[in-house]
Amino acid sequence: MPDNPFCTTIAEQLNTGILILDLEFNIVEWNRFFAIHAHKDAKDVIGKNVFSAFPELPQKWFERKLSSVIQLNTQSFCSWEQRHHLFELSHTRPITTDSHFMAQNCTFLPIVTDKVVNHICILIEDVTDVCHYQTKLNKALEELAKANRIDGLTQVFNRKHWEECLDQEFSRARRYDHGLALIMFDLDHFKLLNDTYGHQCGDMVLIETAQKISSLLRLCDQFGRYGGEEFAAILPETDLIGAIDVAERICREIEKLVINFQDKNIRISTSVGVAIISPNDKRYEDLISNADHALYEAKATGRNKVCAAKEIEYILEE
Amino acid sequence: MSLSVLICDDSNMARKQVLRILPESLSENVQLATNGVEALEILNNQPIDVLFLDLTMPIVDGVGVLQGIKEAGISVKVFVISADIQPEMQNKVLDLGAKAFLRKPVQLDVLTTHLTQHDIL
Amino acid sequence: MKNFNLNEDQQDCLQEIINVAMGQASDQLARYLDTFVYLKVPSIEQVSSQHLSDTLKSEAQSVAVVSQGFFGYEGIRGEALLMYQPKDSDRLADLLGYEPDELSVEEQIIDLSSILTTTFLNVFASQIDNQMSYSAPRLLFSSNSDKNTSSESSISEHIQHNSFNWDVALKVKISYQVTDYSFNCDMILLIPESAIINITSVIDRILEEY
Repeated sequence: MPDNPFCTTIAEQLNTGILILDLEFNIVEWNRFFAIHAHKDAKDVIGKNVFSAFPELPQKWFERKLSSVIQLNTQSFCSWEQRHHLFELSHTRPITTDSHFMAQNCTFLPIVTDKVVNHICILIEDVTDVCHYQTKLNKALEELAKANRIDGLTQVFNRKHWEECLDQEFSRARRYDHGLALIMFDLDHFKLLNDTYGHQCGDMVLIETAQKISSLLRLCDQFGRYGGEEFAAILPETDLIGAIDVAERICREIEKLVINFQDKNIRISTSVGVAIISPNDKRYEDLISNADHALYEAKATGRNKVCAAKEIEYILEE
Repeated sequence: MSLSVLICDDSNMARKQVLRILPESLSENVQLATNGVEALEILNNQPIDVLFLDLTMPIVDGVGVLQGIKEAGISVKVFVISADIQPEMQNKVLDLGAKAFLRKPVQLDVLTTHLTQHDIL
Repeated sequence: MKNFNLNEDQQDCLQEIINVAMGQASDQLARYLDTFVYLKVPSIEQVSSQHLSDTLKSEAQSVAVVSQGFFGYEGIRGEALLMYQPKDSDRLADLLGYEPDELSVEEQIIDLSSILTTTFLNVFASQIDNQMSYSAPRLLFSSNSDKNTSSESSISEHIQHNSFNWDVALKVKISYQVTDYSFNCDMILLIPESAIINITSVIDRILEEY
């Protein structure tokens, strides 16, 4: 270290590790922070090659990284988010973390003497705290995002997320020329039920209906609440016959369902519209539109039944 | 008699930079062009002894001018002055007949050396 | 909001300084990466923070965006955004001189971005008798990561959070094209109004010499 008393004091008191290497990657200098956290003696470090003093370093990567600093005379960085640590240094954080090594942000600086880069200075910043809290924050955000995808009442996908799923499934079905079916459910006379028995009853009906329908779908099917009393299911790789089959089974099960509310036995039925992806469909909204038309047809022709888009097409053609 | 000079660069500042360091013997008969089309028009209509040429220009670039000169068989000593200093580019312009490649911002001593080397000074 | 305008001479001067910096940086890069870097004439535009999100959205589909702050003497500072579309991200490691499994895709992008930013700005700084320091580069968005945010919302959010810093910024668009590896990268330098004023003084000083 230079004779300047400020530099010496600062370097020794700093809460950042300082390591100075020559062009052969031999360690020329280090500071107290480094010595303390590396648990090594100066005699095993100063004058030694950095890779023999710290064998944990990824040598090839490290050499290439430093070569950019030397050749381009420019700073380079390595953050804990890319590599948790480079040097195995212990941390002294009061909190328990997953790793007993210090999480590090490293800066590599060129040191120029006589207009040429002759040394590299490595600064090691202890970011164990940051790493710990950032990781926790990321987890919390993940959970929040998950909550944003779910409909609070029925615990199935909310409309926004469900539509995003459909968008993706539609693109995928188009790209790989796979099948895709859409089933839309609308509870019959739901408004009447709400008016007769109250909203609490209505809510319970929605919850139990959603649960029932979910139980009859496969894991790969994506089920969501589309509107107040509307639900929709995406069935990947499913043809019309298969989709109608599932829809009819669900329709029967809902018809059989008895919901107990304040000692009353509530029964419900549902109208169902089914559509499968066709070459004419340009976007996922077209598929929704077809299923919706089929649903409307079911409503208009007696309710508590299943109508499929293709059947309607035939009717219209006649 | 002084030599006729043409400075071709789309940047006003760059043209001024060259003008500023031109030796006296080259400063009396100087024309300016802002792109390759203008340069070729001037070159086709009057004898120019020395051309200072930038490479990155709109419409017709420096390479286009060099090609135009070669095709028309125009006799002129071309010195390329450019920011694009990669070896590939330098070799390319020399192959196309340029006398020398000077990197921007051009220095007086460098210019003098090259002009002397090519019998202009 | 003060409207900030560079006159023709100042614009021309700045353009020329940037051209020279581009040329030298490309040369350094080409030698380090052992390939040829294609130069495109940079464009300079003034943008307001409100319009910045829009102008950035219009920058085609980008795969990754890396942000890095830079600061020099005389109050010259800003943020470099590198918007980047590798057509073949595996080859990036190769381009940078590493084995493909030696570093993650994120790391490759960040490394390359830092190199592109710092080589250019170092030369730019030396043209105006200045010197730059840099903050660590940060990946704002990458389509390869698990994050589901779209690049547009990420960048917009980023700008909104920082918009109190400036009303008007200088957007210098520099396109790097590395031919052997067919990847494109756009560098956008956001320079806040206060710093533009400082740069203008420097430009005026240079213009006075002519």
